[in-house]
Amino acid sequence: MSSLTYIFKRLLMMIPTFFLVMIIIFLLVRLLPGDPAIAMAGDRASDADIQAIRERLGLTEPMLVQFWLFLSNTVQGDLGQSILMRTDVIDVIADRLPITVFLTIYSVALSLLIAGPLAFVAALNRGRWPDAVIRTVFQIGLSMPVFYIGLVLLTFLAAQLRLFPVGGYGDTFGERLYHLFLPSITVALYTSAIIMRNLRSAVIEVLDAEYVQFARAKGLPSRLVLGRHVLRNALISTVTLLGLSIGNLMSGTLVTETVFAVPGMGRLMLEAIFARDYPLIQGLTLTFAILVSFVFLMTDLFQSRLDPRMRLQ
Amino acid sequence: MKMKTVLGATVAATLALPALPALAQERGGTLNFARYDGSRLIDPIYADRNPDIWMVGSLFDTLLRGTADGNSVEPGLAESFSVSEDGKTVSMTLREGILFADGSAMSGDDVVFSLDRARNPDLSPWAGLLGSIDTVSADGTAITIALKSPDPTILSMLATFNTAIVSKAAFEAAAGETDQDKSAVIFAAKTAGVGSGPFYLCGFEQGSSMDFCANENYWRMGADGEPLPYLDGVHFEIIPDDATRILSLQAGEVDAAEFIPFSRVSELEADPNIDMQLYPSTRIIYSPINTREARADGSPNPLADARVRQALNYGTNKEALIGLVLHGAGQPMSSPLMAKATQYADDLSPLYAYDMAKAKALMSDAGVGEGTQITFTTLAGSADDATIFAALQQMWAPLGIDLVVEQVDGATRGAKNRSGEFDIHTYGWVNDVNDPSQVVGWLGHTPTAKAVGTGWESAEFNTLFDEAAGEMDADARKAKFARMQELYAEAAPLLFMYETPFAVALGSAVEGYVQTPLGNNIFDEATVSR
Amino acid sequence: MSDAVFTPSQPSRIRLALRKPGFVVGILIIGFSVMLALFPGIFAPYDPNAIDYLAVRQPPSWTHPFGTDLLGRDSLSRVIWAYQVNMQMAVLATVFALVIGVVVGALVGYYRGIADLIFGRVVDAVITFPFLVLVIAVVAVLGPGLINMYIAITLVGWVYYARLMRAEVIAQMGNDYAAAGIVMGYSDRRIIFRHLLPNAITPVIVYWMTDMALAILLGSSLGYLGLGAQPPQSEWGVLIAEGRNFISTAWWLSLMPGIAIVLTGLGFSLLGDGLADLLRPRG
Repeated sequence: MSSLTYIFKRLLMMIPTFFLVMIIIFLLVRLLPGDPAIAMAGDRASDADIQAIRERLGLTEPMLVQFWLFLSNTVQGDLGQSILMRTDVIDVIADRLPITVFLTIYSVALSLLIAGPLAFVAALNRGRWPDAVIRTVFQIGLSMPVFYIGLVLLTFLAAQLRLFPVGGYGDTFGERLYHLFLPSITVALYTSAIIMRNLRSAVIEVLDAEYVQFARAKGLPSRLVLGRHVLRNALISTVTLLGLSIGNLMSGTLVTETVFAVPGMGRLMLEAIFARDYPLIQGLTLTFAILVSFVFLMTDLFQSRLDPRMRLQ
Repeated sequence: MKMKTVLGATVAATLALPALPALAQERGGTLNFARYDGSRLIDPIYADRNPDIWMVGSLFDTLLRGTADGNSVEPGLAESFSVSEDGKTVSMTLREGILFADGSAMSGDDVVFSLDRARNPDLSPWAGLLGSIDTVSADGTAITIALKSPDPTILSMLATFNTAIVSKAAFEAAAGETDQDKSAVIFAAKTAGVGSGPFYLCGFEQGSSMDFCANENYWRMGADGEPLPYLDGVHFEIIPDDATRILSLQAGEVDAAEFIPFSRVSELEADPNIDMQLYPSTRIIYSPINTREARADGSPNPLADARVRQALNYGTNKEALIGLVLHGAGQPMSSPLMAKATQYADDLSPLYAYDMAKAKALMSDAGVGEGTQITFTTLAGSADDATIFAALQQMWAPLGIDLVVEQVDGATRGAKNRSGEFDIHTYGWVNDVNDPSQVVGWLGHTPTAKAVGTGWESAEFNTLFDEAAGEMDADARKAKFARMQELYAEAAPLLFMYETPFAVALGSAVEGYVQTPLGNNIFDEATVSR
Repeated sequence: MSDAVFTPSQPSRIRLALRKPGFVVGILIIGFSVMLALFPGIFAPYDPNAIDYLAVRQPPSWTHPFGTDLLGRDSLSRVIWAYQVNMQMAVLATVFALVIGVVVGALVGYYRGIADLIFGRVVDAVITFPFLVLVIAVVAVLGPGLINMYIAITLVGWVYYARLMRAEVIAQMGNDYAAAGIVMGYSDRRIIFRHLLPNAITPVIVYWMTDMALAILLGSSLGYLGLGAQPPQSEWGVLIAEGRNFISTAWWLSLMPGIAIVLTGLGFSLLGDGLADLLRPRG
């Protein structure tokens, strides 16, 4: 099967997925106690005011009608108006999306920079002290709650030593790298630990494999062995892992963005949930889903290139 | 009743200053201000959340202004005002030469337009506060407000955010079909235009940041004889996380941070680079108690008995709560219906002084036995609420009460308050108007809001409230409010807790910033030295 | 080839594994954690909920080794009592997801076909959903509290196990023994549960260990948001949240529960690594 047909098929398969996602989120937000009218009108509004807002927002329509509107509008690229922001959901998301994507890519890049070399060091020294030290240190990173480590970094590196800014996200690329360093490294502490673990076992797995041991025994230089098998195997497993955890990574921004005052999609989602901003929650979820599906697709394509066992089907 | 005429004495004094040599007044610069929550739409009539309401005054001026003590009004855009003998006509004269931020002149038409908009119940959630107005008319700079019936609150209302003046021409010129659309378009335009306040909105990133720029046409004068404001602008950063907001200030990235948790106040007071301010407020923290005979699930409600509610009040050690939650920066409520700073607040202190013996006696009188389960609904993620719960659980255990917690978010709590699906839940209030009627209506008047959702109903209270609404004699009105406070304290539909100030931490470069008892953020005379 | 590839009764293997210090440390940490979780009352010096207004935020001392909290409660006792909640969290938030995921993943991986296609869509829908959002929304709908939190995490978490299991089973299917099993006419059940599953489960078990540490983290995030453990129940995330405003002034409030989380996470991880060695099929 050619790649293009495959991609087309995958895109086709995303349709039911998105349909499912839309049903889930549509129902879920409407099951939440309280509704946007109550959240919007505030505690002091009269019941009549709230009823008026409900009517204006179309919340008094039957559920099926509401869902059909949501579905048909979404298909036409109209995600509706945010109740919270009073502007089009699309515009709000277009504002925030680049920040979150930047933060995510940045933290993945940092994670790879940290975890990559250290994983090889650990694997090649398996069972000896460098391995133990590296693994223990990463384990600590893995077990640290993001909101705690974020605040510790902010307190010491930003507020006291003034090495980094506490908030904001800058305008130019360079400024962004600087402003988003702390939130990214906070996420990276966690992500790099997962990558390191995975990469280390991937490398060890190859090193242990009979064919590699055979190659080594035959006297092939270990650099060659590493280059051929280990790197490929490591790459496959890392890409798979990153692809699999992209959803977690992105939803993790919920907490990170709040702690570091980064105005991205995660923080917006939290605000939207609290305000019961149905259109915004729906739009954000759909955006998350599209992003994640896209990453999955890329992962699969990449995998199939490198690993003959994972043929496209 | 005597004819009341107030001339702009204080303003005249301010205006007289130009004759003196200019004082060395710090001017210019942008103040960076960290907020806990962002504004969504700053329009006098649509502002319905505190982060919106408290900013209206910076962009829009009102005809009258509240005095510093909060108990009376002084001239604002109107240079003089009077109320007729029968209390049914308010006459005002608009100050000459007032310009909107876009340079256009303000006229009586703008006043009529703004007030008509403000009292239109189809538009504004606050229209009810202006229900007594019959017509508003203007003849040149002479403004006449005819009332359907005498209204003792009318002058306070003319100093309240929702009656601020907008430019009719600018508003009508805006694109959009409905008033709401136009308002949103104007807000999104981020240009000088519709407002008459010391600043205009010149930058806005929803949920992230906001910028105010100085209105060069503002009419009030500073100490140096030049027009206010002193600042070139104010930049707001929205940092919802308390700890991060404080760190931002400590790192010097912002000049001020609002809503400092009280647990951090003493630490920041000790910081030489920070000026920790506790502004007096009308903020009260209390907990509505469901007084209905049955709970929402149909089971009998032990809290329907006033003696049980009284017992809970006696059994609550407010001083200890204030120590734990506010770290001393507050005081127990002394009037059951309002903060001490509110006009007509009676000092009934100690209001339910901690008395465990009395509390136990009341519980046994009421026949409420050991192991009575009561649910305390708190705001999820609120450290204060968690502390209050833990303390109350322990304090009330000797009364035989098994207090369990239910943590919800704000929208859920609001929904529960409306439907009566709660036993007791945390709540707070800040006055929006310089008058007790708003808070008293909210807390005790059944038709307004089911007595803050408690379902409490007292015919005498409701009658007194309705009578007070038309009572022009200050003493008689005060007496009615006194009786309402008495009734309310006795019935105890609330757990009466405490009053808190507004805690704002300022960098040492900042002077002249004020948060009023109503919560309004005032940057008019703020300066920042760089 | 032996019928079952992994038999726990192989003594040499366990002895070999126990020679690894990491594994032993992991067992010790988790063993001790389980003890604290089962008998917190024996280890905690004070009642974890006893409020003392006069001794709030006391620094560590001989009487209060971890200091006292915002209400004057003994922090050490609260950290110890939290073991009960957090260890329960580690197990109950993951074990149902594990069982459901393994069974579904194995079946789907083995049979493929239309079931796999449907399953794929469901998994995609859940995985493409922001995890935390789904959990927060489910908890908000069901109401806050530990049990609802477990339900929410399980509803989302099982797909990760299922995905992992499915991929692993498919990979195993390519091996000779699976083909041999089919040729020899073994029942599907036998092939799946006695041949494929034991061989495919190693990565799942290792992931489970990580997931338990993750469950503690997630649970504490929810506790921090007020959606997990309810006060006065002591829970590490709640404890850290309580102390987060005092990182520079009353550091012990957040540091001690932080250490407990890290230690437990480390324990699970070392255990997972040890188990991975122990369970790795011998060639």
